[in-house]
Amino acid sequence: MDIVACIKRVPDTSEADIIKISPSQKDIEKDRLVFKINDWDEYVLEAAVQLKEKLGGTLTAVTVGPKDWDEVLRRALAMGADSAIRVDQDVSAEDPYAVAIILEKVIRKLSYALVLFGAQSEDFGSGQLGAMVAEMLGIPHATLVTGLEAEEKKVHVKRELEAGTLQSYTIELPALLTIHTGINQPRYISLGGIRRAMQKELQVMSLSDLDLSLEALTPMVRLEKLELPPKGKQAELITGAPEEAAGQLAKILKDAGIF
Amino acid sequence: MTLTDFKYGDVIHRCFRCGYCKFPINWMDVNNCPAYARFRMETYSCGGRLWLTRAWLDGEIEWSDHLADILYSCTACKNCEVKCPLSFNIDILNMMVAAKGEMVERGEIPSAVKDFLENIQRQGNPYGTSRTKRGDWMEGTGIEEYQGQEFLYYVGCVGSYDTRGQQTARVLGKVLQKAGVSFGVLGNDENCDGNEVKNLGEETLFEMLAEENVAQFRGLGVQKVVTLSPHSYNAIKNDYPGFNGDFDVLHYTQLLQGLIRNGGLDVSGGYNATVTYHDPCFLGRWNEEYDAPRAVLRAIPGVRLIEMARNRNGALCCGGGGGNFYIDLLGGSEDSPARRRVREACETGANILAVACPNCLTMLEDAVKAEGLEDKLAVKDIAEIVGEACGIK
Repeated sequence: MDIVACIKRVPDTSEADIIKISPSQKDIEKDRLVFKINDWDEYVLEAAVQLKEKLGGTLTAVTVGPKDWDEVLRRALAMGADSAIRVDQDVSAEDPYAVAIILEKVIRKLSYALVLFGAQSEDFGSGQLGAMVAEMLGIPHATLVTGLEAEEKKVHVKRELEAGTLQSYTIELPALLTIHTGINQPRYISLGGIRRAMQKELQVMSLSDLDLSLEALTPMVRLEKLELPPKGKQAELITGAPEEAAGQLAKILKDAGIF
Repeated sequence: MTLTDFKYGDVIHRCFRCGYCKFPINWMDVNNCPAYARFRMETYSCGGRLWLTRAWLDGEIEWSDHLADILYSCTACKNCEVKCPLSFNIDILNMMVAAKGEMVERGEIPSAVKDFLENIQRQGNPYGTSRTKRGDWMEGTGIEEYQGQEFLYYVGCVGSYDTRGQQTARVLGKVLQKAGVSFGVLGNDENCDGNEVKNLGEETLFEMLAEENVAQFRGLGVQKVVTLSPHSYNAIKNDYPGFNGDFDVLHYTQLLQGLIRNGGLDVSGGYNATVTYHDPCFLGRWNEEYDAPRAVLRAIPGVRLIEMARNRNGALCCGGGGGNFYIDLLGGSEDSPARRRVREACETGANILAVACPNCLTMLEDAVKAEGLEDKLAVKDIAEIVGEACGIK
């Protein structure tokens, strides 16, 4: 089964207090941040590699971004992708529709039975990209996939809905799935593996290679402003030494009748 | 990889599980392998793990989460290596690290180990806290950044990020200031020393950290290093020379011993307590430094130093080595090595359990709480005891 996995690079924002809005108010300040593969995309790659190990075929990893983004493709290659393509275009200011236009063009050039996306990205989190690309390619799709079994011509998927409700579908291939976290246990990628993957070819494409121009990337949504949420008035920040803070917290919980 | 490709494939079969790897100093009991003490199953002892590794590489058993947990429950405390009577004992711990290395290459490691290693890849510390917060511990201390002073004070990940470790890092900094030692730190520019990374089997990541740290130290003109953690001491002393990093490195207890002896540090304020000392594996068994910490304690007026039955190369590991202070495969039981160790400390009648390692400090302090021994025993780093003896609050 030939698989295309679309992945992206995001800032490691596990600590909210290191996020600062840039003066343009259209982006965050990135110079103090480190970057990593989008959390959902790790599960995408693991799912893709497991399918490849079981059913054979090829796995191509695709991303759209500047040169730094090669690092997520190197991870994909280290994990078991056969080839990797980066479209050399900074789309951080673009909306998902503009990115979907690019990815549709790339995927049409490839052999695929299954296209995999992360259910959403950690940075902008729109969750739209996979569904848009599926519509553009004219293939069926399922979002928020938490269970996946594949045969030669079809996949059986489980989707997670509200309150843990699960929907089961059988979908004819070719199809596109957006993968949720927890669907598998992504393997560790050793630094040695990443270094060995440096030997594998990584194809770089430009917009013109895809018969696209910047003008073609007509956004449907324009970002006006980024801002940090105001500090809630209901929140009380307990400060001081851990022992004192724990004592204060215990008192608050006790006074509230929680224990 | 098959058994024949395994670096130790031709010797691993030589362990016939005599069981000496579990002994402390003598035959007093068989619980000095921390993982065996915790689980009381042969598979968790060094001999058991070697047999399992052989069976796994030979295709007799499949990889499983359980197998990975068993291998990663090894804390690299070196008790097995010191106690094994056979000539191949120099490699039995290396065999375990190599087996972990094979799991790393296959990507099949416990999820907590994966988090540990990925956090170090990204942020240079196992906690995944931002690199930009590494130097937060030194705020308000007046400790200078390294700019050619005599010593680089290398703090390490636990001292930089763990709340309790930070307290110790600050006290040691103040003690060095008080003694007039010329030293500086790297602050946010410090990176993980890699000692645990190596023992978790991620050899390439370790090499990268060692290369980067050596290049940084050399670039700054560092010649002498003093470390808070025995783990850092071990990596810089024993591994960095292989990366062109020949530094004159001291664990802080060695530096303090000299300062006190030469009158450079006044500890006449004293410390009135009955103290028992827990040997950290990476200072003790790994580097055979048993005397400097004890000499520092003995030099402090008021300290009555008594020994636990298991001491020096027979000390029981706190269970925090091999990344287990974070991945915690040995916790959750009254048989956890840290809890066994604090009960043993309590039995001596000491009211202070002194340590010389921030990992041991956090492991044993948690164990005192779990055992409900807070009113009988307090865990203190030797830096804190010295700090009090020289009037530092």
